[in-house]
Amino acid sequence: MSLRLLKYAFIEDYAEPRYFNTPDSLGDSYDVVIIGAGGHGLACAYYLARDHGIHNVAVLEKGYIGGGNTGRNTTIIRSNYLTPEGVRFYDASLSLFRDLSAELEINLFYSERGHYTLAHSDATLRTARWRAEVNKHLGVDSELVGEEHIARACPELRQDCGGNHPILGALYHAPGAVARHDAVAWGYGRKASQAGVEIHQKTEVVGIETQGGRVSGVVTNRGTIHTSTVLSAVAGHTPGVLKMLGLSSPIEIYPLQACVTEPIKPWLDTIIVSGSLHLYISQSSRGEMVMGASLDPMELHSRRSTFEFVSSLCDQVLDLFPFLSEVKINRQWAGMVDMTPDFAPIMGTTPVAGFFLDAGWGTWGFKATPISGKTMANTIATGQNDELITSFNLSRFEDFQLVGEKGAAAVGH
Amino acid sequence: MKIIHCPVIGPRPLTEFTVVGVSAPEPEDLGGMSPGAWVFNRDSVPMERTEWWYHGATQLWFKVRRHTGADRIVGVELARANKNG
Ligand SMILES: Cc1cc2nc3c(=O)[nH]c(=O)nc-3n(C[C@H](O)[C@H](O)[C@H](O)COP(=O)(O)OP(=O)(O)OC[C@H]3O[C@@H](n4cnc5c(N)ncnc54)[C@H](O)[C@@H]3O)c2cc1C
Repeated sequence: MSLRLLKYAFIEDYAEPRYFNTPDSLGDSYDVVIIGAGGHGLACAYYLARDHGIHNVAVLEKGYIGGGNTGRNTTIIRSNYLTPEGVRFYDASLSLFRDLSAELEINLFYSERGHYTLAHSDATLRTARWRAEVNKHLGVDSELVGEEHIARACPELRQDCGGNHPILGALYHAPGAVARHDAVAWGYGRKASQAGVEIHQKTEVVGIETQGGRVSGVVTNRGTIHTSTVLSAVAGHTPGVLKMLGLSSPIEIYPLQACVTEPIKPWLDTIIVSGSLHLYISQSSRGEMVMGASLDPMELHSRRSTFEFVSSLCDQVLDLFPFLSEVKINRQWAGMVDMTPDFAPIMGTTPVAGFFLDAGWGTWGFKATPISGKTMANTIATGQNDELITSFNLSRFEDFQLVGEKGAAAVGH
Repeated sequence: MKIIHCPVIGPRPLTEFTVVGVSAPEPEDLGGMSPGAWVFNRDSVPMERTEWWYHGATQLWFKVRRHTGADRIVGVELARANKNG
């Protein structure tokens, strides 16, 4: 037992400070109301307070902090995207992540592992080369590597892939990292809370009120709040929130599943992704193999797990790492992800004045948590889309100005 | 494994199908909606709806009625039931 814990045996008051304030009642009005206490909503609250002096903010969460996709993802952080606007945006997030443990005073276990996107076909190799060139041009460490490099980095990987789709090369991204996802939400939540932001859990938004085309309030299961500014950061629940305002978007909700094995000795210190085999795998600091695959085959608003997912994932993983056949799967789970047609987010202003959107995070939004919080805070404070997010506006679909990030998606969809 | 009970081909595992998308009639005109909105926008909230499903092994198309919140299939019919062949 640690001395810190032992100390509590002799102290009457439990002295460990709470992470978050727990306000008893909802206020009548706030300058900004944020719907959703996932990483994105909490990060935005933090940067509103830190960068813009906006403290009278409520974050409303229908469940618990970080209980959405923030606490369900496989925590891969990278910036080797395909489009220049994507690369710039995600790379700015990586820069923030590097200093975030110190800034939030919480250990995020941010760990740079090196990220390999395996190519099993000429077409994938071509996209990998294209990505490497765009990345290098924008100063992101990214290169195409061959068999020998991969063998040095991961000698356990069976590159002939059991004779089925042998590996031809890989896109290597040295800064690729993993982090502790819950801590990202807790860290932002605690700092926002210390700055005066109120976080109300078990508080569901059921309606948004407008007057003359402007946001005027938010209706919750605990009463109505006046506000002129609302941010929706609800990922898999975005279509329902948009409907409250009569807005539409191309977002479709699909389950994305993941699983972990029992903990084993450390052997994999890189992140391995294969789009052709629809899988990605890394080893957590506890020793579990963290594994995921592509989306479920059909739209669904549910977080149920399936046997089809684990069985087909294991089938593919064993082509690359046959020795894992002895290792047991411990847990599996699902999140509801908000997919967009171009695999880029939907951020910024909307046709309703005072209503801001941070959505379309699909299977890729954990890595964007810091930068989306920061750019959305700036957008809300100034009323103008931050320059890093102008290409991600909802209006791009009406204008047929899609972003085209699909080629950088981790796994085939 | 989820089993889909189909006319003609009987009970089949989910993994044999490709879910292609919602089956809805094309509107005569867009009634003021912009072409971009018609092409891209979706109504992705939990609901019961009819979808096109394709069964690769037999090359048959089905219309599947499904609840997208409850993960429940309500009915399956052959898409071209009244065409010959
Ligand atoms: C299995 C899986 C693996 C993934 N892997 C990766 C990865 O490796 N790398 C990566 O970058 N991304 C990954 N993602 C995507 C990433 O998890 C998400 O894009 C990101 O976490 C979204 O964060 P968020 O804060 O926007 O949403 P969430 O964390 O989902 O938070 C939204 C919150 O809003 C709340 N809410 C919803 N409706 C209401 C309402 N009406 N009123 C009040 N509250 C409401 C919800 O309860 C929820 O807590 C993965 C996702 C999944 C499911």
